[in-house]
Amino acid sequence: MPDTEELRESLLEMSHEAESLRGENTQLRLLLDSLQALLTCDPGDDPFAAIFASLRSVFRYSEILVLTEDENCPEHLTVIAAEPAGLAATIWETGDLLRKVLAGRVTASVYNEGAETAPEGEEARLGASQPALYLPMRVGDRRGLLVLLRPAGGEGFDRGHVALARRFSLLASAAFAARHAREQEKESADLRQLTERLRVSERELAYRANFDPLTGLPNRTLIEEKVGEAIDRLQPGGRLALAFIDLDKFKQVNDFYNHSVGDALLVAVAARIQQNIRGTDVLARISGDEFVLLLTPYENLGQAQSVIDRIIDHLKKPFYIEGLELFTSASTGVSIHPDHGQDYEALRRTADLAMYRAKSHTKGSAVYFDQSVGDASAARMGLEQKLRAALRDGRFRCAFQPKFDIRRGRVLGFEALVRWIDEDDQVRAPGDFIDVAAELGLLNGITRIVLAASNEAFAILDPLFGPDTRISINIGAKQASDRRFMAELIEEIVATGQASRFMLEITEETVVEPDPFQTEILPELRRRGIGISIDDFGTGYSSFSVLTDITADELKVDRAFITAIDQRPRSQGILKAMESLARALGMAIVAEGAETEAEMAYLREHSSIGLVQGYYFAKPMMAADLVAYWRQRWPDLTGEQWGLPARGRVALRTAL
Amino acid sequence: MVVVRSFVAAGAATADVLADLDRNLTEAGLSPHFAYLFYGQVHDDRTLEDWLSRRLPDTAVIGGTTCGGMMSDQQLWGADSIGLLVIEDEAGDYGVAARELGADAAASAEQALRDALEAAGCPGELPELIWIYQAPGREEEVIEGLRRVVGDNCPIIGGSAADEAIAGQWREISSAGTMSDGLVVAALFPSGGVGYAFQGGYEPTGASGIVTRVGFQPSGGEGVVTSSRGRQILTIDNEPAAEVYNRWIGGLLDGKLAAGGNILADTTMTPLGIDTAQTNGVPHYLLVHPETVTAGGGLTTFATVEEGTRLFSMRGDRQRLVDRAGRVAARASANLAGGQASLAGGLMVYCAGCKMAVGEEMPEVAAEVSRNFDGRPFLGCFTFGEQGNVLDRNLHGNLMISALAFGA
Repeated sequence: MPDTEELRESLLEMSHEAESLRGENTQLRLLLDSLQALLTCDPGDDPFAAIFASLRSVFRYSEILVLTEDENCPEHLTVIAAEPAGLAATIWETGDLLRKVLAGRVTASVYNEGAETAPEGEEARLGASQPALYLPMRVGDRRGLLVLLRPAGGEGFDRGHVALARRFSLLASAAFAARHAREQEKESADLRQLTERLRVSERELAYRANFDPLTGLPNRTLIEEKVGEAIDRLQPGGRLALAFIDLDKFKQVNDFYNHSVGDALLVAVAARIQQNIRGTDVLARISGDEFVLLLTPYENLGQAQSVIDRIIDHLKKPFYIEGLELFTSASTGVSIHPDHGQDYEALRRTADLAMYRAKSHTKGSAVYFDQSVGDASAARMGLEQKLRAALRDGRFRCAFQPKFDIRRGRVLGFEALVRWIDEDDQVRAPGDFIDVAAELGLLNGITRIVLAASNEAFAILDPLFGPDTRISINIGAKQASDRRFMAELIEEIVATGQASRFMLEITEETVVEPDPFQTEILPELRRRGIGISIDDFGTGYSSFSVLTDITADELKVDRAFITAIDQRPRSQGILKAMESLARALGMAIVAEGAETEAEMAYLREHSSIGLVQGYYFAKPMMAADLVAYWRQRWPDLTGEQWGLPARGRVALRTAL
Repeated sequence: MVVVRSFVAAGAATADVLADLDRNLTEAGLSPHFAYLFYGQVHDDRTLEDWLSRRLPDTAVIGGTTCGGMMSDQQLWGADSIGLLVIEDEAGDYGVAARELGADAAASAEQALRDALEAAGCPGELPELIWIYQAPGREEEVIEGLRRVVGDNCPIIGGSAADEAIAGQWREISSAGTMSDGLVVAALFPSGGVGYAFQGGYEPTGASGIVTRVGFQPSGGEGVVTSSRGRQILTIDNEPAAEVYNRWIGGLLDGKLAAGGNILADTTMTPLGIDTAQTNGVPHYLLVHPETVTAGGGLTTFATVEEGTRLFSMRGDRQRLVDRAGRVAARASANLAGGQASLAGGLMVYCAGCKMAVGEEMPEVAAEVSRNFDGRPFLGCFTFGEQGNVLDRNLHGNLMISALAFGA
């Protein structure tokens, strides 16, 4: 869910784009009408009547004049056409302003005193505060100009009008030239061709304004219109449904393959949804991987559910794109008019909230909006505010969980795990807030807090565990690929004066992204002596071949493989393969999540794994608590033992 | 054809710095028609004025002092720098005029604009853009005066001159000389067109309240008094304004409520906002920077507020202020009729308060702007107030960022 800053920016851009499209359309229509009028009217007819009509509708002028140079008196301009007609045949002196306009300038005036534009004997027609728009226009073989006036004291012409007039001026002059030479067939033919091209372009613009060019589906503007019309047509008590369909993990398709595959998938998805809806339903693509479906007529919820279920099921079937077999799914939210919204925007918003619920809970499912979705959304907004406040107020702390070397009998390092102390002083684990913090862009700030807390924790941990331990800090995939953040983080780690005591835990997702992590950031981390650990190995996307491209220090086997490993031959086989891989690549291997004696016994006796992290040894705790706990729970496994390798190891192995 | 170049030099002696600029200007071989000039308060006005009249006698010049240096396509510069952004545009028209704000700042602004149009050789014409630099304090009056001439039919962009310690050492400069309580107006008719953007980097936190009383605001030499708008907010929702505001920002001002005093530095990340316009139901906020807590528990601000206005508690963060500068520059370039590809160079106005908040990451702001201006020449000043156009309305705000892009 984007934060409001992004939303505001997107809306501005969309509005701007829509405005531009509307503007271009208006301009083209104006130009076409004027050209058409000039080309089609008989030589004896007034060529200006149609031009004036077009200009009036766009510029809302009160008076208009066409002036041309007088052959016999270049210091004067003659009005050859005007509305009201009484202004025709008046003579204007060619002042500085009109000279500039004759030379090609399009301009608007905000006041006229000193502008030398008043016609002789007609000063009252052009008051000091009468807004005017001037544009050059060649009439046949003579230089001339158009003056559009608005009532004195009224709204003036703006920069948009000037830009529009600039385009009109060029084409109108060309049209007059062609009309002047209409006997010359070639020019007329050229002009007709130009007209036709403009008509095509007008059609294209109209299409672009209402349809998505990739899928050919209605776009955001058109679906809003369609929903509005459908609501207007409803009988009293009538209903309709709006579904918000969002593809799951679509970004990965673009990232892992390329945008042409992503685009082809969107086209295929659009076609598949189309095949599974009724003739009266309307499907639109409103942005990237987001589709909106208007379900009308709506008899009851069961009927809508059957359409949505059909779509969801069909989207789960494989797509064959450019020789690839792709799987996707769509999370869908559904809202009902009038229960959940009176208009398109309200329906889209509630359907979006329901879709977000579906995506958070079970991707590829549908959620129908109800009060609980609304409440959850409000709760999430509350969480967002609280997280921002927590970052501001420094309410994040750091817990540490040891990584224990079961072969040498000593703690080699710790994983730093952030904790949020909420406003009720409850300690909240990352699962409660980390995704939201990432969406809000707060993760970098939190990581910096973790780094600072870890650096301070050495002073508490070192007396017991020795000065050679390392602390691992988790880095999200998005963070790891953020050049600037990573450069700053590396500098901050180096600034602690003990860079080699830090290790960054990255996910498999980071490893498979070659740029910029592998090519730029990883070499810098190596150069600075900062360790690399691949976290949650076995749950993500990495293939063994990708791992050969990366020089990491440590591979952390996900807890899913360690839990009850003594009873699961399949996990045992996978673990052995991972061990071989880590050994071949020279990486240490850490078993995460060991909790029971039986799991420990298996690891000790049937694997070569040295490092274990899990509740068996200690839960994540604040540094001081961990020291106290360790002294009590594992009194023999303290720093003093490290200096006594022979005696200590024997004793410790026995203890384990 | 529009050519834009930036030149910045730094040093303690004004004459030496100008000699450097002179050399660079000569090497560039340009004949500028229009120039922006910004400098640190330490520099000598008379030396600058002499240099301008000797070196750029036919160039329309606008600018003034900036807080803590400036930024350019090369780097971030210190408080002893002097910078020029010059524009050579044979087919364009540019005119500058200067006036003391005087008793009636709106009337001064109106006359200055008429003079600037006259100087551009375009009396009565609607410019492509109006750019202003003025002494801080009466920005709304100045905009009102300019709007009397052009309404909102063309954008009014600019900044309020700044010094190093909010001690009234700011100056405004034009070819006519320097002033400390004046206004310089430029009317621009560039042949390559312009693009512009005006945005803040702050988001609402959720808290809001209605201004229920503002302080009496003497206006002008005749002491005209109005109680409905001003720069002193006495109460919000009928409670002392400072108390309400302090509650919104989590007690950040606890230590200052009783004694009062300057809170500019404390509140840079937590300004107030006014909902100025809406796009599809999403509000656009104009920022108001609280300046002091008054003895009576009110707040003075850097922008005028009206009774009945809903004030929103806003929040920013450093990274957003860094990123936003680049995005404003990108937006201005994209708004050029020929798009980013037609960009010749640009000008940034970046709030000095934001600069203070961003602190040592300011070089990153300069780099971000440069990247978004595609490495084209630009100059940026740091101001005590920003003027710009939001959804076709010309407004004054605080803690804002504006960018102006010149088309080639």
